[in-house]
Amino acid sequence: MIYLNNAATSYPKPDIVKKTFEEALELLPSGQFRSAGVSDNSDVFSLCRKRLGALLGIADVNRIFFSSGSTDSLNSIIYGLKLKADEVITTVTEHNSVLRPLFNLPGVKGKPVLLPCDKNGYVDPETFEKEAKQGKAKAFILNHCSNVTGAVQDARDLGEIAKRYGMLFIIDASQSAGCLEVMTDKWQADAVAFTGHKSLMGVQGTGGFYVRRGLSFIPLRFGGTGLDSSRILYEDGEYEYEAGTQNAPGIAALSAGVNWILEREIREIEDKERKLTEKLIEGLSDIKGVHVIGQEIKGIRGPVVSFYSDMLPPSDLAYILQNSFGIVTRAGLHCAPLIHEYIGSGDKGTLRVSFSPFNTYEDVDEFIKAMREIS
Amino acid sequence: MTITDKRKSLEACTESGWDAFDLMTGEPLSDEDIEELKCMEGSFLYMKQLKKPFFKVENHDYVIKGVKGDSFFRFAVHKDKVSLVDELMERFG
Repeated sequence: MIYLNNAATSYPKPDIVKKTFEEALELLPSGQFRSAGVSDNSDVFSLCRKRLGALLGIADVNRIFFSSGSTDSLNSIIYGLKLKADEVITTVTEHNSVLRPLFNLPGVKGKPVLLPCDKNGYVDPETFEKEAKQGKAKAFILNHCSNVTGAVQDARDLGEIAKRYGMLFIIDASQSAGCLEVMTDKWQADAVAFTGHKSLMGVQGTGGFYVRRGLSFIPLRFGGTGLDSSRILYEDGEYEYEAGTQNAPGIAALSAGVNWILEREIREIEDKERKLTEKLIEGLSDIKGVHVIGQEIKGIRGPVVSFYSDMLPPSDLAYILQNSFGIVTRAGLHCAPLIHEYIGSGDKGTLRVSFSPFNTYEDVDEFIKAMREIS
Repeated sequence: MTITDKRKSLEACTESGWDAFDLMTGEPLSDEDIEELKCMEGSFLYMKQLKKPFFKVENHDYVIKGVKGDSFFRFAVHKDKVSLVDELMERFG
């Protein structure tokens, strides 16, 4: 089996992640701030925050909070910052983890301004500035790297525009954290959402978010936190954001995954994955009737390649690849329903191939061979 | 061919929001089985040239697809026509 669906969930995981996860299940259970069960003062939660801060360019690591993944994080951020949809500018490249909270959260009315993208998935900063100039929007939510085309937005420039017009700048780093450089503080981001199970090499059900200190931010959930159990009513600004028992084995594994990345340096990972995508695009461009999206993406790109074929819809291609060739990909809209109108893939979406550092050139060769046979 | 079981597909999202089921046949699908399915209403595609040949029957209400040699095939159906799954199971039950 060749696994090329890493933009959904990375597989396999580094050995150290598997080992750490297993070991965490063998250790006495550790609850954050309570019943640590250890006497050496080791704290998996703080260590993970420290490592995430180093990777994502966040100095104030105590403002990193764990969650079950990006969807949980983005719901927390959108709800917690009390964003009203009609006061938000976002993009058509967004995942449903941004779109659905904006359109459906209780008390959230109106519609956000949706910035278009070009056929590669890029959002134009000038278009953003025109909207920002109108002065209605209080927040800008940006999908840093498209999970459909791999286009990476210029977060530094877009963040500067958001700040120039007094807007909160929120980054969805689901597809970039762990495979591309994310510089939260430098880009003046007020909040960042990330997930553990993709390029951060953690397990499903882990992730987190950062929210800058000083913002009015209410928790999506309340409950036990292990700190000051006598307090029932919170005053604004004194909230706690990790209610309930945390996923300690998952966070230990996430910490190991982040450390595995830090040991290699992000540029090494980015370089390897870029070479894989370039080889794939080159191979696909020779196949008649195959339309690769994002061919004009230059420089930094996420490790995903989307395409569609004149011959078969993406769902059939994925079925054949999986059941006839043992190659796992992903077909459809990829939970980003709005982008397809702009990139030319229509209501059937695309066939998406996505890499991790564990993929090889041989995987790409096998995939191209299979596509040639199908076509 | 006998359909022994139906399972809600884990890949419903790929079938453009239609309801999708994986229908179990117990035995590997043969050319004769595929010929039987070909009789269902709709256009028929058979990619015999593949090492594991792929087939598809498609009309505006449903798509049947599978691979020769597998002991299951996919039945994706428009949400308003889900009863067709049971009709198919009855026919091949």
